Amino acid sequence: MKRTGILFFPAFDWSLGDTHPEREERLLYTQEQLFEEGVLDLPQIKQFSPRIAPLHEALRSQALFPNPEVHRDSLDAHLIAAGSAILLGEARVRGDIDNGFVLARPPGHHSGSTVWGNRGFCTLNYEAILVNHLRASFGIKKIAIVDTDVHHGDGTQDIFYHDPNVLFISMHQDGRTIFPGTGFVNEKGGPNAWDQTLNIPLPPGTGDEGYHYILENWVLPRLQAFEPELIINSAGQDNHFTDPLGSMNLTANGYGRITELLQPDLAVLEGGYSIEGALPYVNLAILLALAGEDYHHVREPQKLDRPVLNLAQLKPFLVELKKQQQTIKPSFTTRSKTFFPKGNWIYSPCSIYYDTDGLEETRHDYIRQCNHCGGTVYLESSCSSSPQKSILVRIPFQACSDCEQAGYDLWDHLQHHSDNTTSVSLQNQLHDKLYVWDSKEGLREF
Amino acid sequence: MGGTYTDAVFIQDNRIIQTAKVPTRSENLVETLMEAFDKLCIPDEQGLTQITVSTTLVTNAILQDRIPAVELLLFSGNGMSVDALPWPVSYRELSGEMDFRGREVEPPDQGEWGGILTPNLRENSAQVAIVGKFSHRNSLHEEQLASYLKGINPSLRIAQGHSWGQANFYRRSLTTYLNFAVSDIYHNFAQQLQNAVSARKIVAPISILKADGGILPISKIRPIESIYSGPAASILAALTQSKPTDSSIVVDIGGTTTDIGIVLSGVPLLSAKGAQIGAYSTLVRSLAVRSIPVGGDSAIHATDQGFFLESYRLGPAYCLGGNVPTPTDAMRYLGLIDYGNERLAEEALASILPLERRTPAFLQALANDIIDAVAERIAEAVDSLKKEWTEEPAYKIWEVLHPHEARTFRTLVSGGGARGMTTALEKRFSSPVQLGLYSEVSNALGAAMARPTFNCTLHLDTYMKHYRIEETGEQGKWSGALRPYLEVEAFLDTLAQQQAVFYGIKIEHLEKDPFDFFPIVKGYRTVGQIVRGAVHLRSGVIGRIQV
Repeated sequence: MKRTGILFFPAFDWSLGDTHPEREERLLYTQEQLFEEGVLDLPQIKQFSPRIAPLHEALRSQALFPNPEVHRDSLDAHLIAAGSAILLGEARVRGDIDNGFVLARPPGHHSGSTVWGNRGFCTLNYEAILVNHLRASFGIKKIAIVDTDVHHGDGTQDIFYHDPNVLFISMHQDGRTIFPGTGFVNEKGGPNAWDQTLNIPLPPGTGDEGYHYILENWVLPRLQAFEPELIINSAGQDNHFTDPLGSMNLTANGYGRITELLQPDLAVLEGGYSIEGALPYVNLAILLALAGEDYHHVREPQKLDRPVLNLAQLKPFLVELKKQQQTIKPSFTTRSKTFFPKGNWIYSPCSIYYDTDGLEETRHDYIRQCNHCGGTVYLESSCSSSPQKSILVRIPFQACSDCEQAGYDLWDHLQHHSDNTTSVSLQNQLHDKLYVWDSKEGLREF
Repeated sequence: MGGTYTDAVFIQDNRIIQTAKVPTRSENLVETLMEAFDKLCIPDEQGLTQITVSTTLVTNAILQDRIPAVELLLFSGNGMSVDALPWPVSYRELSGEMDFRGREVEPPDQGEWGGILTPNLRENSAQVAIVGKFSHRNSLHEEQLASYLKGINPSLRIAQGHSWGQANFYRRSLTTYLNFAVSDIYHNFAQQLQNAVSARKIVAPISILKADGGILPISKIRPIESIYSGPAASILAALTQSKPTDSSIVVDIGGTTTDIGIVLSGVPLLSAKGAQIGAYSTLVRSLAVRSIPVGGDSAIHATDQGFFLESYRLGPAYCLGGNVPTPTDAMRYLGLIDYGNERLAEEALASILPLERRTPAFLQALANDIIDAVAERIAEAVDSLKKEWTEEPAYKIWEVLHPHEARTFRTLVSGGGARGMTTALEKRFSSPVQLGLYSEVSNALGAAMARPTFNCTLHLDTYMKHYRIEETGEQGKWSGALRPYLEVEAFLDTLAQQQAVFYGIKIEHLEKDPFDFFPIVKGYRTVGQIVRGAVHLRSGVIGRIQV
């Protein structure tokens, strides 16, 4: 039996559109199921009340471009989900609960370091906001995030790609067959955080058995080696065999077992859009598994009648995948701008598509190679919706003095040489100071 | 009615004309009530327009385990193991399952039903409660089994869970069970009381006070709803002495127990969960009340550090002839109350102090410390109740963005121990504390001034074409639009009016919750809606007491 906190925030008055999968109805039946089961009457379960996070919490992990003001009116639901994750995370760290389930809408794991709008139904990344809150407020050093949503947790990966103290593992349906099209084994982390990102792309049709096998034989050993102080599970439920977006074959019971194997300190709901066939049952199984109760009697009414990839078929594939993942060696491009402080800067460009808002973001990422810390990050971003260019400068947690100074030098320079730059965000995680400089509105602290 | 005493008040035009107090004879509650009634010396009994009773009958029957066994049959379906929760009664699980929309997942296995027919069920007029998971969405399985059993043994008495239409299978089962188990006890009482009143040619209707602070006619109330009416009555008594918009903390300090309630802008706070009585978790709506085991008669023991305030009573206060020191002795010593023997009070306090410290200065300090300790316990409970209120779950963005604004609370203290505690509580709360009027009969006063409460909560599924009413368990067909708008408002109004007529109460100025509309989407097309809405008449009083 475990003291389990639940924060159930179904946002019954919010949707991304009348018939959008992310609509009022999404957690309605989950509410019906949880309440009818009387699960909140279990003595070890404590329900928490949602709380809205201040913008500061979001900006510690993500830059809102071109500036936070532009997003302010559309952030309420996201900030409440973030605040709820923080609340439960604090309860966990303080020892009020043994583990917790943030059962809130909307999801967040596709939202990355830079945010121009909504993508994959996500605007803010709750796991990242939570993790960085706990590091800033409680001095926690090492945290692992395991993403079991059917979609690659690309936003979370982006935020922690250069962070040696956060291990990010994502198991998902192969990106060649599903949004967002990323999450391959060669994405293993930036130069200062090599091998702290582990992607396990899986073929469509993988079921309970396969998932559990990978957890036991790949994910858990990797976690054990990392020795995190906390494990966060991005608990997307779209691997369920009834999900309209995914093509995997997990059952509610299978999800219960994943939770039991992973023993997360916090599970955070991500996707999952089979709102009648899966969510009520998967959510119940996860909650029961967290609370140390028997989840084996949780059964979805629909029967799994699709062909499931059996373990014998899957095993050779996995052996090959693992070998491939392990043989990939770092290869980075060195490039810098004239005004960059001294050091070896690694460059990588990327483009990010915002499916909800129909935007295309083009990003040029630079990271200062460092043997002592996560390294200063410089992200230059522009968006198809405007000719604007916005920049994020990050001084990471536990930054060494050289990287800290590099961050200040960049920040200083950018404010005085802003020819074609609309805004610059300074994310000083080291001292928890967050500034946004805007060409029109000047300097603001958040 | 209390465990020890029964209070009565006679009120005319919001003025208290007479009060009475008699010892409670637990073996004959109706006689106790009539004795208290007689002591009121009402000049024109036939002219009475309303009689309200708050009784501990059902509460005590449950807590003292004086209820008959009921056969409990469950359609528990899949999901959480039934035994994950503590069951104070035995039950039998049957196959058959519904889902959250009221769709049949698995029909009952009728072959299994023969096996439940014990001799008791075959031959006697036994009581059987049938409860299904999600039966509040579809009562089909309950109805089928009930009709099967009736066919075998027409003398069986059967209760079905779906008449408790709120979610929570566990609580619905126990509520159905308890309500059925106490029904004979309650109906006997109701009948006797009605007879006694009618014998005096009094035609005034009798109402019973409920846990939610509302009243209903004696013949309409569901027996289990009469539990915990005592604490509810104390809160209502406070309402009769405050402005309709006041927010208050109500503290009723008794001999062994102190009840604490909270009133927000004139409306007593309801508990977010149903009432818990003994080992039973129920769906009974009740006011949010903290009952803490501390009062004027709490025993005090000397310790190395000074004293310890126990959470039990060992008879009356020392100054009133008891054997142990109590807070009442401290109050008496300080002259905060005028009853009890002053010398004995001093003796009681002295017994806690070492010989060399038995001087007036030390006695005075000790007496103050004792009273502060009581105030501290009360204050902790007040804080915890306020916390419960501010931490109520929220399921909508609007609710999170518009939290209950911080209010200033008046504190109103009543009960036997009230007079001696006001100063200490004022100091602890750093705000004025008001002493309730007619403290000694506050329960009767609250009950007498109570008004009906009323709730009608609609759950409409236009795709499944059915509606459900939480409070009555009514399940009906919907023939209106797939996406109703104004139509559903009129529909709820009609249902509410029908329900009010059934209860024999007048409803005016109902408070309406905003409707929640959930579009039901299939394949990117909206095919219907789930609509949730409710109207309420919150608990309150019919007037303010004139002094």
